[in-house]
Amino acid sequence: MSVVALLEAEALDPQLELAELTEAARGDGAIVTFVGLARPESRDGNAVDAVVLDHHPTLTRQSLEDIAVACAERFDVSHVRVVHRRGTVPAGEPIVFAGASSIHRRAAFDAADYLMDRLKTEAVFWKREVGDDGAQWIEPTEADLADRDRWG
Amino acid sequence: MRIRLYGRLADAIAPEIDLAAAGCTVGDVRRRLAADHAAAAHSLARSSALIADRMVGDGQPVSESDELEFLPPVSGG
Repeated sequence: MSVVALLEAEALDPQLELAELTEAARGDGAIVTFVGLARPESRDGNAVDAVVLDHHPTLTRQSLEDIAVACAERFDVSHVRVVHRRGTVPAGEPIVFAGASSIHRRAAFDAADYLMDRLKTEAVFWKREVGDDGAQWIEPTEADLADRDRWG
Repeated sequence: MRIRLYGRLADAIAPEIDLAAAGCTVGDVRRRLAADHAAAAHSLARSSALIADRMVGDGQPVSESDELEFLPPVSGG
């Protein structure tokens, strides 16, 4: 069993993260991963150049770890890997990698789903979309909160 | 005392400010910041206060050596 939770200041490489998880998952039968990208368009339809993620010097990484550990304890998974960007992420580039491995696929699917629902609502970031129209602070949507609440 | 602000608050006020706060509580500091920065008042009212990474209530006395942080509701990742 391993739990990895990383906060990255530089570009995130999903292929590299998958390779790390695959290496750890020897003996498992399934890996499920999710990669979140910085959207090029806001909910209002405005062009977005970049997403900027402000973070807290200690609590942000701790929140990633808490969510990853809770995932590992809740599901029958062997390995959990969460890697999250901070700082300025240009549109189209990866913001988050969340993955889990398990002996059978269902636990890995559920674990990845759980990771993202909690990360989207509880990870300690303050996020804004920056474009020609200025900057717009983002908060979780009702749908994001409802997704998280599925897990009780 | 040193006050650290995040997200909308850092944007509206500053990431860090120093304030003379001897004899004040967390609530006093919160009210003073809101009075001085009306645009941030709503966010301040919704923010958690922390000292040394621990959440503190508005009744908590502060000392000049404390670093007080106000964290608005998070965006998530």
